[in-house]
Amino acid sequence: MTTLPPPGDGEQPPAVDTRDDPTGRPTVPITGQPGADPVIDTRNERLDDGVNRCPRCGATEIQLRPSAGMLICLFCRHEWSEARLDESIANGDLAALRGTTIGSGATDIDTGIDTMITMKCAGCGAEVVVNTDEQMGSRCHWCRHVLTINEQVPNGAVPDAVLPFKITHDDAMARIREFAGKRRMFADRAFVRDFKAENVVGVYMPYMVVDGNASADVEGHGEIKTRQYTRGSGDNKETFYDADVYEVRRHVDFTADDLTIESSAERAVMDASRDTNNIINTILPFDTENAVKWNASYLTGFTSEKRDRDVDHLQPVLEDQLLSIARSQVASSVDRYDRGVRWERERIDVHGSRWVAMYLPVWLYSYYHEQGGKGMVHYIAVNGRTGEVMGSVPVSHRRLLLGALAVGTVIEGFVIAILAAS
Amino acid sequence: MLAIVLDLASAAFASADGDGGATPWLLVLGPAGAGGVYFGLWRYYRNTHTSHSFERETRIVAQPVTGHDAKVKEITGTKKTRIDGDNRTNHRQRVQRIE
Repeated sequence: MTTLPPPGDGEQPPAVDTRDDPTGRPTVPITGQPGADPVIDTRNERLDDGVNRCPRCGATEIQLRPSAGMLICLFCRHEWSEARLDESIANGDLAALRGTTIGSGATDIDTGIDTMITMKCAGCGAEVVVNTDEQMGSRCHWCRHVLTINEQVPNGAVPDAVLPFKITHDDAMARIREFAGKRRMFADRAFVRDFKAENVVGVYMPYMVVDGNASADVEGHGEIKTRQYTRGSGDNKETFYDADVYEVRRHVDFTADDLTIESSAERAVMDASRDTNNIINTILPFDTENAVKWNASYLTGFTSEKRDRDVDHLQPVLEDQLLSIARSQVASSVDRYDRGVRWERERIDVHGSRWVAMYLPVWLYSYYHEQGGKGMVHYIAVNGRTGEVMGSVPVSHRRLLLGALAVGTVIEGFVIAILAAS
Repeated sequence: MLAIVLDLASAAFASADGDGGATPWLLVLGPAGAGGVYFGLWRYYRNTHTSHSFERETRIVAQPVTGHDAKVKEITGTKKTRIDGDNRTNHRQRVQRIE
């Protein structure tokens, strides 16, 4: 169990990013320029004592008002927001990005750090235990103060930034109801019977938001048709082609702003035969430029998943995505190859990358469905910012088969009628 | 889906008629249509093919593409309509990495 020092005793907790930085260098804001420090300090120092007070009345009863995207004090109704992360990090020119820079909330997870954290209540001095696997705050059982985890403990629970929910629960319910309603006829009957849009829950999912500066080379062969002709006659007529074959090489330098990568190992696995994680991936992107500095009060009333992957684990994913982007960028330059291009070799040089850990808002409806002894959780997900919906609805194979056979029968009847008439 | 299959049937019939007689292979259109409807609806419900299009939905700033093209040979009399292994639009298919 990790114990944080009592608030207001004049001693600030040690800076996590500095402590974990193997170079031992102090943490300073990053500019993204060559020679800059590899760790970006994103701590919200104002909240390091674990007590998030209303700036106007001092109450700790604070939560997010999604329709406004602001924190609201439940006592005096005062509304405010944390500063945008973009305002506290000097972004600079991405093309000048060199090396790997990491937000202090995205540093490597220390497996020795316990998920149970003991905090001392600022109101009465009592000790309050918070299980960061399940929640990011707790109420003091003696004086009713609300304590929240705001310090960047290196267990993956506190990211650099959070993008608050904007879509309300009612709005999310309506969108999910509409999505499922359009897929009612051939849906599994148990799903239709059990479906309750009210069960949608707001979840902050962990992601790494990455800026990259890269160069890519691709090599392969392309073909241009020079002649097309037919040989034979009647049923033996065949079409032949002549073509010129070219060796094709392309190079592109580019920057990518805010690539969003799953930082939960479980969510990163996208195997359609055993999970529906691709559904949550599909509702990307988010307007990550509007993410704000971490404040656990944004999570009040919502659940969250912890990050469990470090930058090193995600480097191959970044390179894979950058290669795909490069291939997409060069595609229009090979339009003249009307018989297609076969890329055979590719190279990516990542000159610089900047990693920020972020909680992004997702409304999630989940349904466990078992068929033939094999269970699967089906998700219907709503992007908590844009409202984009995607989902997986379990099908009734019997109904689907009947529907397909009905259509097949109509077609076959039409064909037989034509053949008979001829 | 049904309309597409019926259009196909009409076109195939017209073609067959033009060749001087109806063709029994038209009878496979019924089972093929049923299979297509089954697969299409299954995909509409399960969405197993969807994912985030980061290639298009991320802010990318790219410098002009440079490159080199050199003719290496000529092919004559092939029946293939496309180059083998065409992956021009399949950006996520990884090929041999050059280190």
